[in-house]
Amino acid sequence: GVCCQKKKMATISEMYDVGWEEMRDKLRKWREDNCRNSEQIVDVGEELISEHASKLGDDVWIIYEQVMIAALDCSRDDLALTCLQELRKQFPDSHRVKRLSGMRLEALERYDEANKHYEAILQDDPTNTAARKRKISILKAQGKNAEAIRELNEYLEQFVGDQEAWHELSELYINEHDYGKAAFCLEELMMTNPHNHLYCEQYAEVKYTQGGLENLELSRKYFAQALRLNNRNMRALFGLYMSASHIAASPKVSAKVKKDNMKYASWAATQINRAYKLAGRGTKESKCSMKAVEEMLESMQITMS
Amino acid sequence: MGEVELSCRAYVKMYLHACLFPRCGINGLLLSSGSAGGAVCVTDCVPLLHSHLPLAPISQLALTQVDVWCSQTQQRIVGYYQANACVSDSSPTPCALKIADKISEQFDNAVLLMLDGGKMTADYRLPPIVVYERRDSRWLLKDKHTIMLRHWEETQAIAGQMLESGDQALLVDFDSHLDDITKDWTNQKLNSKIAELASPANGNI
Repeated sequence: GVCCQKKKMATISEMYDVGWEEMRDKLRKWREDNCRNSEQIVDVGEELISEHASKLGDDVWIIYEQVMIAALDCSRDDLALTCLQELRKQFPDSHRVKRLSGMRLEALERYDEANKHYEAILQDDPTNTAARKRKISILKAQGKNAEAIRELNEYLEQFVGDQEAWHELSELYINEHDYGKAAFCLEELMMTNPHNHLYCEQYAEVKYTQGGLENLELSRKYFAQALRLNNRNMRALFGLYMSASHIAASPKVSAKVKKDNMKYASWAATQINRAYKLAGRGTKESKCSMKAVEEMLESMQITMS
Repeated sequence: MGEVELSCRAYVKMYLHACLFPRCGINGLLLSSGSAGGAVCVTDCVPLLHSHLPLAPISQLALTQVDVWCSQTQQRIVGYYQANACVSDSSPTPCALKIADKISEQFDNAVLLMLDGGKMTADYRLPPIVVYERRDSRWLLKDKHTIMLRHWEETQAIAGQMLESGDQALLVDFDSHLDDITKDWTNQKLNSKIAELASPANGNI
């Protein structure tokens, strides 16, 4: 990827008038929320480590890990290596640190060496899921999607509850245009996370993409379900509008089904217009999109009837 | 076939779109405000997605909305761009071909542009793009000599400068718009910034 290295004139603490405790707390929040705002983490973390490491107590190690990973994301190998070396000194036999060494090698695209690291971990500890997942990431980075899919399937046979893995697999299948299998993964996710509107909506999108009347009706149901779980999900709202419109326009449906779907589409159109009017009150620029949506909805209705 | 010209604004926004989502596949539409016939002048682009590129509903929605916007603003959709998540692979995916096909149904000289992620750093002199055109129902590489970027060095400098300033954070693609519909996928703010930097009064080459 591409990265930007900002020239820092002032320190973070000067620019934002924060003390080291706030910086430490910010890093903790980002850890807890699993944020990948790597440039910010590098800016804050680098300063915290270089100026205040002694004050951080035992927190310093997890901060080194967090900053190291962020540094890899930003192509800051110098910083990553510094953090890694501190961690290696402190935890010489740790699998967790070995995995970080592997990640650094991945970032440097030294994939064969990285794989050796992970295989060494797995020799020692075959249940180490982190190492297994890193190996799959390497396959992805090398564009070996079919192999990544195979490995991920094997992994999931053993670790059937790993949500992140199921989602990763669904994304891989989508990129390979294997919508049936992507749908299967999303079904697993919906079963274990019935209140997650995003999974419903993604499932609906996959069904819509598969096409055909049956899949369209399923997609409409799941767009509607996503909206029940989160009535602000715009993709679900548009999805409901489009799927219902297509069903209503199909020559294969009964008069009742046609009527019902026209009702759903009409409801969705009203909600969409309302949402855009509300949004348009803010700025002049959003008026462009509002007008485009209005006209789009009108034009779609014309083709429908 | 004919010539294609890529404007500074179009290139810089595509570039920033790729930089904003370095780990994702991204795509967008290429627009022209010029008249049909003669060289194809890509004067603008609309960044579309950074997730689930192959899925149909949002792509269809975006195409329709941009189409409507174009007819309101005397522009037309003349092409499609994409950058793959895997930096070492700049070949068009099936979904890229599908969307490009659809566009060429409405516009004969449509272009398909792939961004080459591996060549986007400042030490590459040439534009990191691979352009395809439709011949005999297939998308084939366009002759490099028919692709023009006026003031390429200036364009590249502007793109680099905006990246340094973190301006890619200002870019709104259709995906981001759906997350927050107050955000403007026509990117007027960014357009102004680019115009400012390109202005001769700025002392650029």
